[in-house]
Amino acid sequence: MAIIETENLTKVYRTTRKDPGLRGSVKALFRPQIVDKLAVDRISFHVEPGEMVGYIGVNGAGKSTTIKMLTGILVPTSGQVRILGRDPHRQRVDNARQIGVVFGQRTQLWWDLALIESLNLIARIYEVDPARYKQLLDQFSETLELGELLRMPIRNMSLGQKMRAELAAALIHEPLVVYLDEPTIGLDLIVKERIREFIRQQNRDKGTTVILTTHDLGDIEELCQRVIIIDNGRLIYDGPITTIKARFGKYREITFETCQPVYQAIALPEGAHIVTNGYSPEDRKLVLRFDRTLTTASRVAHDVMDQVEVNDFSLTEPDLSSIVKQIYNGALLEETTS
Amino acid sequence: MIQAIRRRTNIYGAMAGIVPKTFLAYSLWVWVSLFLNTITMTILVFFWKAVYADTGTIAGLDLQTTLTYILLAQIFLPLGDLSMIFEFGYSLREGGIAHALLRPVDFQGGFYVQYMTQTLTSLFLQIPMALVAWLVFGLRFPTDLQLWAVFILSAILGRTILFFFDWMLACLTFYTTEVWGLGVLVYGASLFFSGSLVPLAMLPGWLQTFALATPFAQALYVPLSLLTGITPLSQAPMVLLIQVILLITLGVLSRLFFRVAVRKVTVQGG
Amino acid sequence: MARYLDLYGLFLVQRFKILMEYRVNFLIGASSTIILQVSSLLTIWVVMSQIPSLNGWSYYEVLLIYGLITLAKSINHMFADNLWTIGRQYIRTGSFDRFLVRPINPLFHLLADRFCHDGIGNFLVGSVLVITATRQLNIPWSLNNVLYLVLMVLSGGLIFIALNLITGTTAFWIMDAVPIMRVVFDFHLFAQYPLSIYPRAVGILLTWLIPYGLASFYPASYLTDRSLGWVAWGAPFVAIILLILAYQVWKFGLKYYAGTGS
Ligand SMILES: Nc1ncnc2c1ncn2[C@@H]1O[C@H](COP(=O)(O)OP(=O)(O)O)[C@@H](O)[C@H]1O
Ligand SMILES: [Mg+2]
Repeated sequence: MAIIETENLTKVYRTTRKDPGLRGSVKALFRPQIVDKLAVDRISFHVEPGEMVGYIGVNGAGKSTTIKMLTGILVPTSGQVRILGRDPHRQRVDNARQIGVVFGQRTQLWWDLALIESLNLIARIYEVDPARYKQLLDQFSETLELGELLRMPIRNMSLGQKMRAELAAALIHEPLVVYLDEPTIGLDLIVKERIREFIRQQNRDKGTTVILTTHDLGDIEELCQRVIIIDNGRLIYDGPITTIKARFGKYREITFETCQPVYQAIALPEGAHIVTNGYSPEDRKLVLRFDRTLTTASRVAHDVMDQVEVNDFSLTEPDLSSIVKQIYNGALLEETTS
Repeated sequence: MIQAIRRRTNIYGAMAGIVPKTFLAYSLWVWVSLFLNTITMTILVFFWKAVYADTGTIAGLDLQTTLTYILLAQIFLPLGDLSMIFEFGYSLREGGIAHALLRPVDFQGGFYVQYMTQTLTSLFLQIPMALVAWLVFGLRFPTDLQLWAVFILSAILGRTILFFFDWMLACLTFYTTEVWGLGVLVYGASLFFSGSLVPLAMLPGWLQTFALATPFAQALYVPLSLLTGITPLSQAPMVLLIQVILLITLGVLSRLFFRVAVRKVTVQGG
Repeated sequence: MARYLDLYGLFLVQRFKILMEYRVNFLIGASSTIILQVSSLLTIWVVMSQIPSLNGWSYYEVLLIYGLITLAKSINHMFADNLWTIGRQYIRTGSFDRFLVRPINPLFHLLADRFCHDGIGNFLVGSVLVITATRQLNIPWSLNNVLYLVLMVLSGGLIFIALNLITGTTAFWIMDAVPIMRVVFDFHLFAQYPLSIYPRAVGILLTWLIPYGLASFYPASYLTDRSLGWVAWGAPFVAIILLILAYQVWKFGLKYYAGTGS
């Protein structure tokens, strides 16, 4: 049985718009201008127990809105959502016992309390068995390196420390489903890696189902076998990440900053070519695209640097918005329809 | 010379202009506080009516005089407001004081202009309340222009005295960030000693002497007692003279205070 | 129920740990309310020492009324002060959501989240006033009287909380509910003095519509042998009715929130 089921899940935010100034306020009072914002548009998907799903989309795509409906905070305007067979809003309390939530930008913990005190309180709210709690605390301390953080109030923590604390708090009652809304936003690589490792471990050991929203493809690649891409509230892709990777991970771009303008032709390895549009030698910027299956970045760099003098170079991953654009242009049509 | 003065007035004018704007941004609050003030006035009026039910005069004041005084005190309440201690603390934390110190005007002078403008704005916003007091509670405004002239003079002196006092308190924020408690303490004291709740003439001798010496009373009770005739006009020169002496003393002290306090900031770099 | 009491205790212990960390703030906060009360009490003292009685109420009888409403207010102040900040601190920042993903009642969570120590000052002032007044008025501390007092103060506290909950729930619509809350809340100032000094309309208002009077004037009348009939016992019933009503309003607000999420 699927653990998460949504059927044509839709959310419309109804807001009133107000013109600036006193006149606007008065007008809004008598004839409010109602503006409907379709934030989530007929989204349907199922998630099986133990799956880790990346829920991705650019800012404003509707990720947080979906998570809020899955957690029971918001009621869908139309459509269905079932978590473990329950309506998460109607059966809010029963649902709450089974889920853990992390909202990336805000804390669930008590600002002035030491982390350990917050955790104690949360364990009591969720009625975690004391012996089990102790066991989990040790376990979490190790993987998340909570160590001295336990005695530290949240307000004194850095972003990365805070996120580790949040994760511990959200998972201390061993929820069956965990929702992570942009958990790695603004974190450095080392912390990201630690957090990913923790999530992976929870999933492996306890079969925790994980929904992870992000607009950073890196998180997803590390954790998820499956991704759901939404744009403007619409589901535009639901399938294995390998497909996305094969399609878009195939090409990389590499940018060279040369010492002199480059006028001569450059010999390139097979699978690489110069991105010509907008290129002018005076910029001393050379952008190359290469196929990862045919050559490597170091190979390309080596060849170029043999022929021209280079100041600097950088490698860019394909970013989400360009992928979304390409999906619209039909790039994934064959896979999604099959 | 004239240009210099004009430039100066422009700067002060711009600084003063900010105050009413930020004030009116809370328009809902303006209405709500009018309502809350009406509640307070209602309570005060009926309380005093009940107080006078069995007596003709208290400390020489009859019901009419007391009611006039109490209602006027509610209307002119902004004369006794203290705000700087919180503002200083705030701008100190936000680093704004360094900015303010860099402006091409005398630091205290700039604050004084803002202080007085703020007072005027607040008084202006009390006009609806004055109407309520007049229409609902039958407040009779004094009509003798001479009284008003003396009142305005005394109010300006008193408000300036309070400004200097407020300023000295505010200087304490350079030494401690725990000013909130001090602010509350001073506010509590000002409620009573300014005479906003009870005409100070009713206090027993020793307490009255003490109360009258506070800057709170100088800012609110002293001018109002002249306006309502609690203090006869013949005593006005004496009262004003005392105010001037207090003003000069506190003015000198406040500048000394600031000089010492600011050294602390510049030494510690804020 | 037992679980909630247990949890409340835990929240309280944690809260005091925080307060002890900021000891100076704690002391200042708790004493600030005392300072603010002193000016009103000084006024009463000054005025009452010049007249034999206020509308037939002696100095200590007036203090009894004042003390009772202060005690009731302090209950609200200590245990439900967070209602003032629903909009600014919880809805605007989005931290209201965390109440909704936890397996306990969100209202309980909101109230338990912050015990307000400033209320302790009011509690002390009220207690001192009521104790002094009853002593001076020779009101015996019989079991009956003590139980009656406790019942009235608790009911009064619940009346305060219920009214604040009704007005505070508007935060779901207008974000900052404080102005609206103040408008209703400030009516309690009437109940600091004998209601009989006001016009009848005020008395009716403070008895039936915004019934703060039930927590001060009527119990004080009862204790000083001014027979008023059953109204002296009105507070607990009215408190329960108001609480039920307020909770319905709150639930309505929650429903609205679930639709808008902001
Ligand atoms: N409470 C709200 N009221 C009105 N509009 C909202 C509200 N929350 C989000 N929106 C709008 O709905 C859209 C989706 O928002 P959100 O779900 O937060 O996107 P994401 O999390 O993917 O960045 C955005 O256009 C946003 O402006
Ligand atoms: Mg989001």
